[in-house]
Amino acid sequence: MRLNFETRIFYWFFPLILVATASGQDWIKTGTGLGVEKVRIAVPDFKATNQDPRNTDLLKTFNDTLWNDLNNAGIFEMVSKSFYPLGQIGVPGDVKFESWSAPPPSAAMLVFGNLATAGNNATVQGWLYDVKNIASPQVLGKQYTDVATTQAVRVIAHKFADEIILRLGGGINGIAETQIYYVSARGGHKEIWAMDYDGANQHAVTALGTISLSPHVSPDGSRLAFSSFTGAGWEIRMFSFDLNRVVSFPRLGGTNLSPAWSPDGSKLAISSSRSGDPELYVVDQSGANLHRVTNSKGPDVSPAWNRKTGSQIAWVSGRTGLPQIYTMGSDGTNVQQYTDQGYAVSPSWSPNGQFLVFSWMRHYGPGAPGAQDIYIMDVVSKQWVQLTHDGGRNDFPAWAPDGRHIVFQSNRSGSLQIWEMLADGSNQKQVTTSGNNSEPDWSWK
Amino acid sequence: MASTEIFFEHDRWGHNLAWSAALHVGVTVAIVAYAWIATGRHGSNWGEGGGGSAMGVSLVSNVPLPANPVQTQNVLATESKGLSKSQPQPIVEDKEAIPIAEKNAKKKPVPQPTATRRKPQPPPVEQASNVVPFGEGGPVSGPYSMFNIGGAKGGFGFTGGGGDFGARYAWYVRVVNQKVSENWLKYEIDPRIQNANRVYLTFDIERSGRPTNVQVEQSSGVPSLDQSAVRALQRIDSFGPLPPDYSGSRVSVEFWFDYKR
Repeated sequence: MRLNFETRIFYWFFPLILVATASGQDWIKTGTGLGVEKVRIAVPDFKATNQDPRNTDLLKTFNDTLWNDLNNAGIFEMVSKSFYPLGQIGVPGDVKFESWSAPPPSAAMLVFGNLATAGNNATVQGWLYDVKNIASPQVLGKQYTDVATTQAVRVIAHKFADEIILRLGGGINGIAETQIYYVSARGGHKEIWAMDYDGANQHAVTALGTISLSPHVSPDGSRLAFSSFTGAGWEIRMFSFDLNRVVSFPRLGGTNLSPAWSPDGSKLAISSSRSGDPELYVVDQSGANLHRVTNSKGPDVSPAWNRKTGSQIAWVSGRTGLPQIYTMGSDGTNVQQYTDQGYAVSPSWSPNGQFLVFSWMRHYGPGAPGAQDIYIMDVVSKQWVQLTHDGGRNDFPAWAPDGRHIVFQSNRSGSLQIWEMLADGSNQKQVTTSGNNSEPDWSWK
Repeated sequence: MASTEIFFEHDRWGHNLAWSAALHVGVTVAIVAYAWIATGRHGSNWGEGGGGSAMGVSLVSNVPLPANPVQTQNVLATESKGLSKSQPQPIVEDKEAIPIAEKNAKKKPVPQPTATRRKPQPPPVEQASNVVPFGEGGPVSGPYSMFNIGGAKGGFGFTGGGGDFGARYAWYVRVVNQKVSENWLKYEIDPRIQNANRVYLTFDIERSGRPTNVQVEQSSGVPSLDQSAVRALQRIDSFGPLPPDYSGSRVSVEFWFDYKR
């Protein structure tokens, strides 16, 4: 969406001038219409600096992980490896600037470095160079040391990728170290699972032996709220990653679903049918101070806070018949309707507060094609863009903390799986394959 | 009752079967007889090249067809027979011929071009018209180099360590560009406006990357455009921390917005 906006908005060219005042204060003079194209970045394989036999495996893991992280970031155009000049680059002295900045690579940025294994430790040195700026090329230089395992090296690659993305992505942290929480039935019961953002390291979080749904991780990443079937009905449960067990949360009665964290982590918005039909309630993260915020006939479910301000909630209401997306202040005032046709569910508010993403069957009913797709809507202008077109039922979109990625569930591959894409709908890829996996939630950092 | 009907049907079926068999035999006999009579009458005298049981095949090229009276354009007439290109005549030297001295027996040596050393010139790189050539070893020139701002003549003539931010950290300037551009929402501008003057904003970027001090330096005269430009800056939390090896505490930015629907 962001990219779409850019291309639509900025077609004008203006130069960039730089001046300094007499006092030595630095000035940048610049204008609109300049930053739409992605940075061309070249990432040659890192070089082993000694002959340790473990280097081969570690380097392969490192190089693959770094490449994937940068490729997935959505802000780079990766220069194909077949364009690279010959010879490995391990240290800054090896860099021949012209051979990288001129065609065919035409790279603006170059990532290079080396890896050495000694004893139990692996040491990685990495650099980010602006190869068109020969006078002062270095943007970033880092050194990491950790135990010599593929797992540790993968983490180093994630960290280094995030540093690069932070520098070149405009102060937005990368997502290479983030987690995705989701529901998986591969163990027989629907339990909450977790994985790295790239699908690696999948593991179960809960083992309750019942049905657990709608996981939502707290903004600080220490807790996980979800909904679980107990003997009496659906209740909100709370899992603590510090204690590695389920901690107490009051039972509210009725069917309680979809706990959503406020961005400061102090409150939860939930839907509860304790008073009849499902209504939205706001409750402290401890379970105290429960109060109701919607009051209308028809179900009100699936709350999502404005992640920028924390003062608004988007949700799904069936007050006019089929479910539609609405927003309101977190105290229940100022209700606005965002969709007025079809069947719209599962809103999620972008980290910058600018967009809602949701799942929509725009034409619903007998004779309608019945495709369920992910849509993004600008909250202020209410303009929307369809992000998925590839068939199947796509649901439960959730934002990554960088505001550039969206995770969602889709059955287009035959079974229900977790998919990721950029927020403009490009680069869609499947991240889970085994069992049925659904209702993803992306960690906040 | 039922059984008699079955027997009755049995009888009729057997009757038909007899007729059918007789007819089949009759047809078969007729075919064989016709084949025998036909082959007997025509014998084996058609389709044979000259006897034997195998069919003889005559090659088409052996058939004396009349020559094609129309000249085809495919092959040019050449001096060399059978070749599409004329071959040079082989020079046959007459052994008894006496060589005659030429008029100017002394031949001038052909002047050889002296190799000059040239520096290899890099091929000219074409700049796409909408690309800012940042970071190529200095501040970028542009049509606005005539500006005199802050005592720096032409925008580029400054010296000293304090003023080369854009040259040293071109990547950061690019980030600023991109970030502001991303956050400028054109739909906030009055839709009736087709063209507007340029808006100039100034702001500072602190070490943390936070923009502060956003001011409209020169208004476009269109309030909604000015407002949209200010809002673009207000939407930005951070451009990312300033480069760690940069010594200053902040960078000042002049940013202009051009609007054309």
